[in-house]
This record gives sequence, C-alpha cells and structure tokens, in this order.
Amino acid sequence: MNKFWILIKYEWLNFRADKGLLILTLLTLFSGLYGIYYGTTEIARQQENIAALDVLTEKNIEELKAKYPDGTDAGDIGYYHSTFAVNHPDSWASLSLGQRDVNPYYIKLRLLNLQSQLYDTENINPLKVLSGNFDLAFVLVYLFPLLIIGLCFNILSIEKEQGTLPLLLSQPIGLPLIVSAKLTFRMMLVLGLALLLSVVAMVLGQVMPDERVALWLGVVVLYCLFWFGVAFLVAALQKNSAFNAVTLLGVWLTLTIIVPALLNVYIAVKRPMPQALELTIKQREVVHGGWDKPKRETMDKFFSLYPQWTDTTEIQGRFAWRWYYAFHHLGDVAVADLAQEYQQGLQARHQLVEQLNVWSVPVNVQTIFNAMAGSDLPSYVGFLQSATQYHDSLREFYYPFLFNQVNFTNADYAKEPRHSFTSSSDFTTVYAGVYKLVLSVLLVFVVGILLFRNVKLKVK
Amino acid sequence: MMVRSIAQKEFISTLRDSRFVVLSAIVLLLLLAATVVGLHSYSTLQAERDAAQQTVNDQFANSEARHPHRMAHYGSYAFRPKSSISFLDFGMDSYTGASVYMEAHKQNSANFSQAQQSSSLIRFGEMTVAFVLQMLIPLLIIFLCFGAFTQEKETGTLKILLSQGTSLRQVAWSKIAGFSKVVALVVAPALVLAALLLFGRGGFELNGDLLQRLLLFIGFYLVYFFIFIVLSVVVSALHQRSSTALVTLLGIWILCCVIIPKATANLGATLYTTPTKAQLEADVHEEVAKGIDGHSSGQDERTEALKNELLEKYKVSSVEELPVNFDGIRMAAGEEHSTKVYQEHFNELTDIFRMQNRISEYAGFLNPYLAVRHLSMGMAGSDFNHYVNFQNEAEQYRYNLAQGLNHIQATQLKYGDKETRLSSDTWKEFQPFEYETPKAGWALANHLVSLIALFLWLVLVCTVGMKLIDKTKVA
Amino acid sequence: MEYVLEARKLCKQYQDKLALRDLNLQIEAGEIFCLLGQNGAGKSTTINLFLGFIQPTSGAAYINGLEVASNVTKVKEHLAYIPENVMLYPNLTGLENLALFSNLAGFDYSEKELMDYLVQAGLPAEAAKRKVGGYSKGMRQKVGIAIAVAKHAKVLLLDEPTSGLDPKASNEFSDLLLKLSGQGTAIFMATHDIFRAKEVGTRVGIMREGELVDVLSTTALNANELEKLYLNYMHN
Repeated sequence: MNKFWILIKYEWLNFRADKGLLILTLLTLFSGLYGIYYGTTEIARQQENIAALDVLTEKNIEELKAKYPDGTDAGDIGYYHSTFAVNHPDSWASLSLGQRDVNPYYIKLRLLNLQSQLYDTENINPLKVLSGNFDLAFVLVYLFPLLIIGLCFNILSIEKEQGTLPLLLSQPIGLPLIVSAKLTFRMMLVLGLALLLSVVAMVLGQVMPDERVALWLGVVVLYCLFWFGVAFLVAALQKNSAFNAVTLLGVWLTLTIIVPALLNVYIAVKRPMPQALELTIKQREVVHGGWDKPKRETMDKFFSLYPQWTDTTEIQGRFAWRWYYAFHHLGDVAVADLAQEYQQGLQARHQLVEQLNVWSVPVNVQTIFNAMAGSDLPSYVGFLQSATQYHDSLREFYYPFLFNQVNFTNADYAKEPRHSFTSSSDFTTVYAGVYKLVLSVLLVFVVGILLFRNVKLKVK
Repeated sequence: MMVRSIAQKEFISTLRDSRFVVLSAIVLLLLLAATVVGLHSYSTLQAERDAAQQTVNDQFANSEARHPHRMAHYGSYAFRPKSSISFLDFGMDSYTGASVYMEAHKQNSANFSQAQQSSSLIRFGEMTVAFVLQMLIPLLIIFLCFGAFTQEKETGTLKILLSQGTSLRQVAWSKIAGFSKVVALVVAPALVLAALLLFGRGGFELNGDLLQRLLLFIGFYLVYFFIFIVLSVVVSALHQRSSTALVTLLGIWILCCVIIPKATANLGATLYTTPTKAQLEADVHEEVAKGIDGHSSGQDERTEALKNELLEKYKVSSVEELPVNFDGIRMAAGEEHSTKVYQEHFNELTDIFRMQNRISEYAGFLNPYLAVRHLSMGMAGSDFNHYVNFQNEAEQYRYNLAQGLNHIQATQLKYGDKETRLSSDTWKEFQPFEYETPKAGWALANHLVSLIALFLWLVLVCTVGMKLIDKTKVA
Repeated sequence: MEYVLEARKLCKQYQDKLALRDLNLQIEAGEIFCLLGQNGAGKSTTINLFLGFIQPTSGAAYINGLEVASNVTKVKEHLAYIPENVMLYPNLTGLENLALFSNLAGFDYSEKELMDYLVQAGLPAEAAKRKVGGYSKGMRQKVGIAIAVAKHAKVLLLDEPTSGLDPKASNEFSDLLLKLSGQGTAIFMATHDIFRAKEVGTRVGIMREGELVDVLSTTALNANELEKLYLNYMHN
C-alpha cells in the first residue's frame, strides 16, 4: 500500500473514533437534508399557490358571468375582474430560494392603473424573512465552511499538541505528504458530503438537467477548496489549535457576515432608492386628478398615445368607462420615468453587488447560486417588466370593447390573455462569478504554499 | 480579598494580552461604526418618510373641491415612522413595508420594504449595534474566557490556587468578576455614544419612555453578556484542555447564533401555513359579498332591509324623503361590514404569524441569543408587534377617514347627488395620520416569554453552572 | 569502513546559544553508544540533528552513509526512534498505532505479528486492543519500543527511553537493547542513567555545554569510576 493511502486510512480510523467530529459531520449532513426538504417544500408550496390562483381567477369569472348573464360593458369587467401575473420558479429554485420569499411571486391585476398594483406585497412573516431561508445554498455557503474549519483547524497543530509529530516524522515520510494526505482525506469527506447533498437536492427538486448540473457541482467543489485553502494557509502559520480555531472562525465571520453587512451599508449609501415613495404618491395624484380635469383634455392626451381610437365617439355625460381607463393609463404614463428609474435603480444595486462581491467569496457564491436558480433581484425586475407587458396586453385586449363600445359577453373571457413568466438563469453572472471564484481559490492556495514553504517546521 | 485579587489578576493579564486588545479594538470599532451607520440609515429613511407623509398630508388638506366619496377613494398614505431607538436594532424594519395606501373599501398591503429593494446580499445580515452585541460580543467573551480554568489546569496553577484555601467557586466567581470588567470596558463606550446620539438629537430633552426603552435595552444585553461569561467559565471548568474548551464554546456559539434562529423561524413557517394574500382577499370578498355593497344601486336584501329600517325610523315612504342621504348611510354600512370581515381575516393571519414566531420565542429557553434578540427588537420598536400595531393604527385611520367622509356624504349631500363638490376647508378638518410608538411597558409585555427565558438562563448558569464547577476534576 | 552513524564537525547554533559544538562521532553496527549529560547539555539537539528535525549550522550528520540534512526522508528508512515521552494517537488502539507506524515504514505485518511485537515489548495483550488514550506513560513507552523494534532499522535513536518505566521493564528493555545490538543494530542512546549506560553501553560519551568532552570504553571502567568521572566533568 502506498504511504499516502496508509495515512488516509489512519485518518479515517482517527476520524471514526472522534465523537466530536462525527457529530459535526452528521449535523452538517442533517442540516443539508433539512435544507433540501425546506427548499423543495417551499417551492412546491409556491407552485401550489400559483396553481390556486387559476382557481381564484375562474371563480372570479364565474361570479361575473352570473352577475352579467347577458354580458356587459367591458368597463365593468375591467373593474371587477382580476387576473394574475405569475412568476413561476425555475426548476433550480428549490436549491437556492434567494429573494423569492421577499419578492412577491404573483401580482393581482385589474385593468386599473398599473403602478398602484405592481408593488403590492405578499403576506410575509417579517421574522421569518429576517431569519432567512434554511435552504441548501445556506448550508453550503454558511455551514460547510464551518465543517471544513472544524475538521481542519488542528490539522497540523494537533500532531504537535498530542506529541505524535516526532514519531510520525521519524518514519520515512515528509511533511508535505502528511499534510496533503490529511487534506485529501478531509476533502474527500467534505466534497463527498457536499456533492451527495447537491445531487440529492437535484433529484428531489427535479431540476432541469442542463449545464447547470456541472456548474453547480463545480462551484461547490471550488468553494469547498477555497475554505480548505484558507485552513491550509492558517495551518502553515504553525500556531496552536486555539489560535487556528479563532483565526479561522474570524475569517468565516468576516467573509460571511461582516463584509456583506458593510457592503450593504455601502450600497445603500451609494445607490439610494428614493423613487419608490415618490412614485406611489405621484401616481395617485395624477390618477385622481383625472376626475377633475376636462374630459376632452384627458382624451386628447390619450389619443395622442393611441391615435387608432381617435375617431371613437365623444364622451357624453358624467362618466364613461373609456374615459376612466384613459386617465388611469395616463397616471401610469405620468410616472413611467420614475417607474423606470426605480427598476433601473434596483438593477444598478444588483450590479454594484456583483462588482463588490470580489470582497467576499461567500457572497460571490451565493450570487452564483441565486443567478443559477433565477431567484435574485434581476429575475424579480424581469418579472415586473413581464407583468407590465401583460398589463399592456390586457389593455390592448379590452380597448376595442371599450372604445368601440362592444358588449363584453361571457364567451369573451376565454379570449382574455393569460400571463406566465418563469424566472430564468443569469448565466453572465454565473460565469463571471465562477471566474472570480477560481481566482480566489488560486490565490489562497498560492499564498498558502508560499507560506508553507518558507516557514520552517518546528517539530517541538 | 482573595476573590478581588484573582479578579484583578484576570483583568490586568487580559489587558496585557495584545491579541485580545486587538480583537476588542476591532469589536469596539465595529460597534461604533454600527452606531454611526445605523443612525445615518435611520435618519435617511426617516427623512424620506417624514417628507412623504408631509406631502400627502398637504395634498389631502389642500385637495381640490371634490365629492366626499371621491375623496374617500383618493384616500391617504401612512408612511411608517421608524422608532427613534430603532437605529440600534433594525430588527424586522428592513423586511416590513414602509407605506400603506389608505382608501375606501380596500385594505392595502404595506409596500416598499428595504429588502424588496435589495439584492440577496441583504440576507447576509445588516451592520447594526444589535448584531455586534448579539453575535460578536459573545464571541469575544468566548475568546476571553475559554481558558479560564483550562489554562490554570495546563500550567498546574489551579492546584496551587486551591492549596491556598480558595474554593473552586471562589475562583470561578472572581474570574467572572474580572472578565465582566473587561467586557464592560469594551461595551461601555459604544453604549454611552449611542445614548448621547439618541438624546442629543432631541436636544437632550429627557423622554421618559425612550429612556426606559434604552435602559431596558442595555439591561437585557448586560444580562446576556453575563450569561455568556458564566457559561464560558463553566464550560472551561468542565474541560481539561483549552483547545477542546474553545471548540466546544465555538460550537455552542454557532448553534445558538447561526443555526437555531434560522431553523426555528423556518420550522414555524413549515408548521403553520401562511395563506396567500390572493386567497385571503378572495375569502374576504366572498364573505363581504354576503353583506352590503356600498357601491351597488341597492338590489341586495341587506340594503333593502337597511332602507326599510330607515324609512320606518323617520316615518317616510321613500329614500328621497329621508332627512339623511341614504347613499352615505349605505356606504358607511358597507364599509363597516367589509372592515369587520377584513379585520377578522387579518387577525387570523397575524395569529398564524404569531404561532410561527412562538417557536422562535420558546426556543429562547434553549438559546439565550433568541431571548435577547426578541427583547432587543421589542425595545427598539422593530419587532413584529410594533409592525402589527402600525398596520392596525393605519387601518383604524383608514376606517375613520372613510366613515368620516361617508358621514359628510350622509349629512351634507342629497340622495343620488354625485355632482356636489366640497371645498378643501372640509378636508382640512381631518386630522392627518400620526403614528406614535407604543409605550415601553406595552413592548415588554409582548415579550414575557423571552423575558422569562433570559432570566431563567441567568438563574440556571448561576446555580446549575456553579454546581458543575464544584465537580471540576482538579487532578 | 563505513560507519552507520557518523557526525562530522556537527554544529548547531541557536540565536543566543551554541547548542552543539564540533561533534565528531563514529558508531559502528552492533555498537551501543550512550550519551550522558545534564539537561540542556545538547543530547536532544544531537538526536534531533540525526533525525533531521533541525538543520545543522555547520558540519553534517550521516546515517548509513547518507547525509541527513539533504536526505531528510530517505534516512528515516534506516533509523528508528523512541522519544523520551512516546505520544500516540489517543483514539486508536496500541495495535492500530503500531500498525500505522509499521505501515508507514513499509512493513505490512499480520495482526499476530504486530501483537507479538507488542507483547515482546512488555505490553499485555489485552491492553493492546484498548485505545491509547487510557494508557499510562509506561504503556505508551512500550508501544514506542515495539514500533522501533518492528522497524528493523540499522540505527536506533533513543532519547531517555526508560523514563517512566518501572525497574522490571527497564531491565527487560536493557536485555532487548543487547539482543538488538547482537543482531547488528547500532544504538545511540541519550540518558541520565549512568548505571544503565555502563551496563548496556559499549562506549559512553559525556557531553557538557554542547561539547562532547570525553568518550570512554565501558570495559575499562566500573560504574562507580564512571560516575566519579562524570561528576568530575560536570563540576568543572
């Protein structure tokens, strides 16, 4: 048997006999399984909820059909009928829920002005979203580094502290062989666990088997290697176990909590988002102002945007639905700039995060995972845009009824457009992230090896 | 005497340990940074919301001449003011909506939370004073105390100490006293700064409630730190080697501060299903439909019954002859009914959330971190209860506004009148929305479970912990 | 002839202290060389230099003709080592510890063979299957002896190997050393025990402040004379 494998075999025996390490590993395994369970049930629940929306729409239609058996003015339908824009999760979302719990995954829409409906939130328990998702991505990004630290903090120091190093080194083996065997054993264990959990999550989540399988597994391996590199680097300093444990936990804390928190502050200062409140106030002012403006003025403005309806009949009397929807739409038009700024502001924030995530490998990896699962801010912005287009198509569907004053019959509901949007992966972010991740891994290993070479071994 | 001299020895030798001094300096720096950053973010958001609130209040008061029901639909906004002490602990504030649109017939969600405007980076956590106090100071305490007994065992000095006639308990208490002094030295500057900033902005005007909240806030954290100090010393006493004591303590920290809080919150959400807003609205709609529709022209039975009741009361034969405007009466009745139904469903929803959160609260008995976290958010006014309180206040205002306007319609306008417009003088009589944070006592009463848990921990570490120390293997 | 253990002008300088000065020494196969000296005299430094745990400031150490400093790993095929305090993997049994170190030295013994080595070294068979974490110092020392013997090395480096052994075990250890030297093993032993040195050693070296001040043949002296001579060196 090769000496390398002999060392690995005895690492296994040592590991097997160490209750603390066994508990740590099992804890990580169970956390991973719980993360998978949580992720898949959460996404299944979202899918169920989305499916239930169809039922609600049907119910709403049935109610209206009963209320208007002979059909009615489309204006009534536009007012009382609601439909949903839905953001279906990508098949990978159960692995990394990202912001899917914070951002609504459906929007209830009526023909009314869009901007007063677009930002309605879902029922969310703030304590739960504050505490965050216990999904597989959390286990991989937060807990696996801790497992690696727990396995590696005393990789070399324990041999000194328990006094076995002299006897070990009196055998015909070099220190690099010993360290690499120890690291290899731990890598096999950790990577085995991480890859196993990932594969289980992929199977249970019934993910689309595309290049993301390789990407995900690759990122998991690289991320674990990064933390092994950090542990190796600290081991090369040849300090005692307590120093190593505190240093490694300090690095973990800095990279997973402190740096992200500081980046958050920086982003909030650098990219403030004052548009939201302004938008919501202005939109109301314009829409409600519509009631008091001369109808001619409103209609002329509207016709300049939709000349195809110009020659429809003059508005008579106090109220007409087409006038009502015209000023509702003009409300949207009035805040279109703000709405666009708002969405661009969100995008800009995300782009800034992407630039800054070089400062924290965990943030980078979380960004990659979310981008792969289509569960971060960009896909929410994509959904907002898609919902906006859907609202446009609804208006286009109803306008002929309204402006040509055609009765909306029960047969017409079936012709109403329906919305479906599925979050998609952002591969640009993924590849950029992977590139940065590879560089980070190389960096720690190069520094670690240089350090390891330059420091003389102190046997005693 | 002996106790004091050991405590003094710990205090001095800690201050001479350069590694500890560096770590404390970092923690203190983060604490000060978090105070300043928290205050800045608080001021920015608060100014934004104040300005927005002022704008909508002015808009309402100076509104054009409108029909009262138009005005009811025009409505108003409630922008949630941040509690002035919340810069110490953002709590759930970043995840709760900032603005509620208040209009007739419809209860709207609180929209535009900070989290919705952020990428997933925000989920890594925020830099607040509470974060440093809850997570970093315990870590510092662990680093400070893990060798309390093990080092004395490793160097053999414990035996010498005991041979001088000191008991194990005395050694433990004197070490706890020494370490407490060190922790106080790290924490005090930041807390003083926070207090100065808090009261300095108000021109050092002593606000009794705010002071109470701040004192309780600080008090809970001091208890929390003390629990961690005693816990660390006990764990150290139970171990023979410093490194194993350290690893055990770090394991406890990870479990308490990282894993359990997330796991319990997620477990709660799994156990008690939250209904979607769409479903909730559909349920409310269905139930309301059985009642009076304020807008319909009076075909349904209940409207008919209301009409007959009024006709009988005023002894007239048609609605036109009524001394009050039936439109307004019907509107008010409809509003009353739909609000009642909505409120029932909303209460059901908050009850579900409360049940979900209860798991985290009871987990405080397993984990002092959770106990102090809830108490801290409660005192900072950024917990769930304050959020619900705000939502209820906004809803109350919305209801009163709508009913006030319905009353105007019922008393000042004729039946069937859709044309009359009232001038802004009428609107000026409506008080604008003002939200006042509830009292400290109210906030505390919401967290009795956490309060008991925290003090139970205190008692537990001081009694059971000390019993365990008695059993320390000296040789 | 080729010496299995040799030092040529071996020097070790620490920052403020000369730990070893110009050590010249040749030891043949089958010889038992005992090195006497006070704590800090440079005995352990000498052994650590032969083991390659530290690098010489000047001069060179040779094991089986190989220079230690440039063949750090290779020379260990030819030497076995028993430290003053044998420390083993606490979570493994004595048997497993021995198996590990023998495997690393390139031997693949059966369990029975391993057990024989342990029993020969004086460890009770039932203890061999228990975790080392519960062993006394003497028991660990015996496992260390078994590890060294099982390696069948040309050179045996011993650093106060009998500390912690009871007198009976010490005697058995002496017998073992004589048997090994009879089989051609060169033994280099640092010790405080003058009587043991006289009893097993073929030659005795006396070290003081990093310098080998005298080398005596044990046949020429009795134990009392050796002790007198040793104390004489120490007091000057």
